[in-house]
Amino acid sequence: MAILVHRNLTCRLVLLAIAATAGHVHAAESVPDEYQVKAAFLFNFAKFVEWPSIAFKGPEDPIAICVMGQNPFGTALEDVVRDKTVANRAFVVRGVLNTQQAASCQILFVSASERKRFRILLDELKGRSILTVGEGDDFMANGGIINFRLKDARVRIEIDAGAANRAGLHVSSKLLSLAERK
Amino acid sequence: MWNGAIMRELGTRWGRGRICISAVRGSLAFALIVSLCSNGLAQKPTPLDLSEASLEDLMNMRVTSVSKREQKLSSAGAAAYVITQDDIRHSGMTNIPDLLRMVPGVDVARLNANTWAISIRGFNYRYSTKVLVLIDGRTVYTPGFSGVFWDQQDVPLEDIERIEVIRGPGGTVWGANAVNGVINIITKKASDTQGELVSVGTGSQETASGLVQYGGSAGSKGSYRAFGKYFNVADAIQPDKSAASDGWHGVHGGFRADWDFSGRDTLTVQGDLFGSSEGQTITTLFSNQLPDAHTFTNKVAVGSGNILGRWGHTFSNGSETKLQLYYDRVRRFDQAFEVLNTGDADFQYHFRLGSRHDMLAGAGYRLTDHSYTESYEITFGSGHRRDNLYNTFIQDQIQLAPSLTLTVGSKFEHNNYTGFEFEPSAQVVWTATNRQTVWASASRAIRQPSWFDAESKLDAATFPLGGGGFGLVQLDGNPNTKAETLLDFEAGYRIQVSKQLSLDATAFNSHYSRLQSLEPGTPYFTFDPLPAHLVTPSYWDNLAHAHDYGAELSANWNVTGGWRLSPGFSYLQMKVGTDPSSHDTSTAASVGDSPKYQAQLRSTVKLPHRIEWDTSAYYVGGLRIGPVPSYTRLDTRFGWSIKEGVEFSVAGQNLLRPDHLEFFDGLQVNPTLVRRSVVGRVTWRF
Repeated sequence: MAILVHRNLTCRLVLLAIAATAGHVHAAESVPDEYQVKAAFLFNFAKFVEWPSIAFKGPEDPIAICVMGQNPFGTALEDVVRDKTVANRAFVVRGVLNTQQAASCQILFVSASERKRFRILLDELKGRSILTVGEGDDFMANGGIINFRLKDARVRIEIDAGAANRAGLHVSSKLLSLAERK
Repeated sequence: MWNGAIMRELGTRWGRGRICISAVRGSLAFALIVSLCSNGLAQKPTPLDLSEASLEDLMNMRVTSVSKREQKLSSAGAAAYVITQDDIRHSGMTNIPDLLRMVPGVDVARLNANTWAISIRGFNYRYSTKVLVLIDGRTVYTPGFSGVFWDQQDVPLEDIERIEVIRGPGGTVWGANAVNGVINIITKKASDTQGELVSVGTGSQETASGLVQYGGSAGSKGSYRAFGKYFNVADAIQPDKSAASDGWHGVHGGFRADWDFSGRDTLTVQGDLFGSSEGQTITTLFSNQLPDAHTFTNKVAVGSGNILGRWGHTFSNGSETKLQLYYDRVRRFDQAFEVLNTGDADFQYHFRLGSRHDMLAGAGYRLTDHSYTESYEITFGSGHRRDNLYNTFIQDQIQLAPSLTLTVGSKFEHNNYTGFEFEPSAQVVWTATNRQTVWASASRAIRQPSWFDAESKLDAATFPLGGGGFGLVQLDGNPNTKAETLLDFEAGYRIQVSKQLSLDATAFNSHYSRLQSLEPGTPYFTFDPLPAHLVTPSYWDNLAHAHDYGAELSANWNVTGGWRLSPGFSYLQMKVGTDPSSHDTSTAASVGDSPKYQAQLRSTVKLPHRIEWDTSAYYVGGLRIGPVPSYTRLDTRFGWSIKEGVEFSVAGQNLLRPDHLEFFDGLQVNPTLVRRSVVGRVTWRF
């Protein structure tokens, strides 16, 4: 659409037109979906967490973000990590069914559908350098490292720094400072 | 780049192009200008990209959780629909029956100001028998008629977390009478209703309504809420536009308390006390004053109470048990004096077998003690009946492959009317892609006979005899009555077309057998009661069948960030017939009355200054009996969050016509018209 009108002037005309009809101009906020924001958090965790070098097979290995259980993200995870790199590693997103498949992941999101098995899953993954992320009242109590909570329609994170240490992960103090500590 | 923080900042910056995009996205006329305004590029507006958002930005974003509901639904192997608390608020409806209109496949017809006929996928009748309705796990149907008295079901709408509606048989998990569907009303946990809440409303039809509720802590590990509410609904008008006398009012007090002990044990206790009184115009015979029929205002009074406890335990291996006990007592005076006491115990065990099997097993027992005496024209056996219902079920959800699950199971029941019954089902769910799900199911379900089917004697009508005197048409119950049976096959498809649009479609093919029919009996002459008269009895039997098929469609479209549209559509074809051995000429008993086509469109708009503008339109096809013409209902509502904790709303309902008829056949109960109305409400939360 190549219409050659001065951009700012056109915008002002549009806004005047809206103002005339609606009496007030206000951008209806584009409200992101809860899981789009959580997907963006998972991507950000990769920026603020360091894995030991044994967590990867080689320096070219991608960062694997895995989802266990019902996937609530739709395409939001793939969308947010597409063509991005962190520390020169690209991303790969996959779904996993059990802990054997999850063993090769760096970030593991455990869906609320697996609530009944949090304890078993997290026990089986002990000792591995996997950043376990979940959403549920009892995820942290069963050994999870990061938990999502919704408060006032905003996504909040809780981090168990001790569990992160035991998994051999180094969580940047910037991320820790934003979390509600447990 | 986009994110919430930037959008707020731009609110006052006229010169920046970005404000134009979201302000005008929904409008075709501005499409050209929008493209110019976006980010300095003459391209399409970029979709929401959060990858450049900082951690602080992400923490400040307000999110919607619509996808959570859709995620739960997306893996269901059944035609499931969830009405959320947001849907309830946006609808402007003031009672549960009206809320059910938004579910495609559910027929809701208002017979008079206090009576509804509600069913799923056909057979609608004031006493429609094929839908199971539960409130927090407590069954609310009456075994007298196998139906639901909707005027007895009252839940403060602000306390409803969600209403789950499953169209199609739910017999395997829910048991008998979930033949055509299950409606499960789930209230919020006490921890979600803390603080004070006062809500006051008034309107042209709902002349007064008030709710006072308080929620607090119950010890260190629990919370509770307690409420009192009152409502008053005005008389509607008769079909001839004269005044009706169907107004009603009621009082309801209740509480709920939830405890969470150590994350392994949860306990819920809840209870209610309810009383209401209402009027209806009825036309009835008096069995001791034959042959005259009388039309008069009948007073109905209801008093009920219930108490329920639910204990959940989670084992260290993740498996769970749930034990629920409840006691429910209803006294209803409605052409007879009826008392129903129900005691119910239900146990469920949820566990995994290996990595592929998710098992659910349960057992339950229900005792009902029912008495029905002193009525105008109907008797139920000896007037008192006690029944035991035993049930057990097992269900296995098998993960055949990462994207394929098969769920098989069956319920086994023993009831006092037909003995042993079983209800098996199988469902397959294929998550074809992470945006599309395909499912199919096959099930058998039964409708347990009611006391009416088995032991009633109803003096239905009188007619003059040629040589003087009169005859009495009597409808009799049949102690050998059988359970109506359904064999149902359905399939569905759900797709998240884009971030803005999702669709849900279902098609069903249902074969009913042993449907209720009315068979002529042998006439006889009697002196009891005087005067002497001829009795032409007909008795209820199960010699009808039906083949029903249809489809339901619903969609959610986020047109812009602040505007959402939800269209829905349903189609139902009923082919009812009688078995060769039947002498029923009308199959009036089995068909009920449901429209062939229904459609709806709901719109929600977020306006500035925290104002919401919601509009809904419903089209309901015509009904055979009456006949009742098709009608379109248009409602609109404005909601305004004046400040933190204060909300005001005003809604207009049934705006298109001053009045209309929705249902005709209520047995003796005469229908009244549903009128155009307005209702306003203020809610304070502290």
